[in-house]
Amino acid sequence: MEAVLSGLGGGLGLVFAPMAFFFVVLGTVLGIVVGAIPGLTGAMLIALTLPLTYYMLPTDAVVLLIGMYVGSITGGLITATLLRMPGTPSNVMTTFDGYPLARSGKPGRALGLGIAASFAGGIISWVFLLLLAKPLSIWATRFGPFEYFTLIMMAMVLIASVSQGNLVKGLVAGLLGMLVSMPGVDPSAGQPRLTFDWYMLNGGLKLLPVLIGVFAVSQIISDVLDLGRKIERVESQRTGILLPIRDWIKYGANMLRSGLIGTLVGILPGVGASIGSVIAYTTTKNLSKTPEEFGKGSEAGIVASETANNATVGGALIPLIAMGIPGSVIDAILIGALMIHSITPGPALFITNGDVVYAMIAACLVANFVMLAVMVASTGWVAKLAYVPRTYLLPVIIVFCVIGSFGLDNVMFDVWVMLIFGVIGFGLERARYPLGPFVIGFVLAPLMEAKLRTGLMMTGGSITPMFTRPIALSFLIVAIVLLVWPLVGEWRRRRAAAASATA
Amino acid sequence: MQDRVDPRVEIGVALMVIVIAAIALFETRDIPPGSFEPLGSAPVPQATAALIIVMAVGLIVRACLDRRPVARPPREGLLDAGAVLLLTLLYVSAMHYRLTTFAVMTTIYLVLLIGTLIRFKPRSMPFVLALAAVVGFGSQYIFTRVFVVDLPGL
Repeated sequence: MEAVLSGLGGGLGLVFAPMAFFFVVLGTVLGIVVGAIPGLTGAMLIALTLPLTYYMLPTDAVVLLIGMYVGSITGGLITATLLRMPGTPSNVMTTFDGYPLARSGKPGRALGLGIAASFAGGIISWVFLLLLAKPLSIWATRFGPFEYFTLIMMAMVLIASVSQGNLVKGLVAGLLGMLVSMPGVDPSAGQPRLTFDWYMLNGGLKLLPVLIGVFAVSQIISDVLDLGRKIERVESQRTGILLPIRDWIKYGANMLRSGLIGTLVGILPGVGASIGSVIAYTTTKNLSKTPEEFGKGSEAGIVASETANNATVGGALIPLIAMGIPGSVIDAILIGALMIHSITPGPALFITNGDVVYAMIAACLVANFVMLAVMVASTGWVAKLAYVPRTYLLPVIIVFCVIGSFGLDNVMFDVWVMLIFGVIGFGLERARYPLGPFVIGFVLAPLMEAKLRTGLMMTGGSITPMFTRPIALSFLIVAIVLLVWPLVGEWRRRRAAAASATA
Repeated sequence: MQDRVDPRVEIGVALMVIVIAAIALFETRDIPPGSFEPLGSAPVPQATAALIIVMAVGLIVRACLDRRPVARPPREGLLDAGAVLLLTLLYVSAMHYRLTTFAVMTTIYLVLLIGTLIRFKPRSMPFVLALAAVVGFGSQYIFTRVFVVDLPGL
């Protein structure tokens, strides 16, 4: 514990250095701004910012990106409350109660509850991040190649099964992400594969153009389809934005419970803020004495949703720091950011780059305080951003996508890759394939394959350790259960339907 | 909760996925087996591609059997999305062949694209021109002089 606290002290020292602190504030403000503009997401902002971080110190780069992460999850609550348009997907549940409460003449109160809950969620999960990351990373040093292989397999199945409800589409998206990560010189054998004898592919497809394509370009094309949508609006009010102490006490248990749910969901690899928000909202509704108020402006509903979605941020950083496994899509991008700076996430990160890890943890804390201050002070102005005409904004973002992709290596090939993956991402999204598994598959496949092949080399080609090593076997069983469970559920549903039809 | 997917979109996307996986499967046929390790370079991409194809075929069959009606996006939105794609393709091609400077290409691209999206409303066009020029020439100045980053184009 002493080592953790001294590490945190060092991390806070790094974050409060003038430049780093500037980047935390900048990142959080930009995150809030982007989160508040419907159609733009934190993943898009972070992917577009990555090229600019090449020229920054690793610590500055990660604190900037973490500020964006925290800000973007929170910024979406403004439009969810005032316009019934979730700024980001994780704010969908907030629209159910935030907008009705705002329309009933209490927009300031609705926003105040959301802001306070977001802050509480961020702080609760941050405590877990601080306390769990190091012990988990020590535990993960016991992992051999088979443990890692089965852990990644479990993560892939998990994200595929919970992403958007369709397991098969989630799996296809994850496998497709894995497949497109495979072109290039195979590091284990040193021979090119899937390169089509084209030298540009020898280095493989780079993460950044693929990310910008899948998250930014595809989102822009989707947004263009939706340009004609009319926006209903409630004017912002400052009354009630600062939540009184009695309300913190009144909703304390709800915040704690939803914060715990959000943190736990965040820790699960690949499961994002949207799911955390849904589970916390549903749990709070089920436990409520007045469940009929949910969906009609329930204050508890806003608190549950916003606490949980912000709590997933700290939760999702735990497996990223401890094991190198992304807890969410944005974490997958953060892995890319660390790799750009030659930092390999994983159990050894505390030893090899302890300063960066504690700077990340400290940035997460500081960003939550910055977020609270910025949101309380500027919600009214930020709300106006939703009216920036997207017809002007989206084309300008495409230009920045081009600059970001080209800036990686100064080759047009990367711009073409971005464009092609933009179209692929758009197609996948139109057919409701979740994009999270695609990106996580793309990031994790090289590690997964390397671990499998290392393990097979160690055992002379035998996969027996997967079934004899307890941790590996546990991950394998969980993966199988996650894979089979939805199919069993579907079979039981159909049987029940058939039985009721014959009756 | 969510609208259903148009079966034509479902089938089209599944076919796209199958084509990608089939190309990968075909390309791995000549990879020799591993000499120093048991697995070699081919089995993982082959297994991945094969799984994708099997599952995508399943999705196609399911989409073909689904006869329920679906809501389709407005035609105007589809035309706008097509314009975005086409103009972006032309923009990237122009940069690929280095037809002119980044600033000029970006300004023209933005005028055409924003103009298309706002139906070239005469009242808004002066603002569009100004915005396009500021983004085009401004970003060229900032990225090449301040960040010292190369930009595509001449």
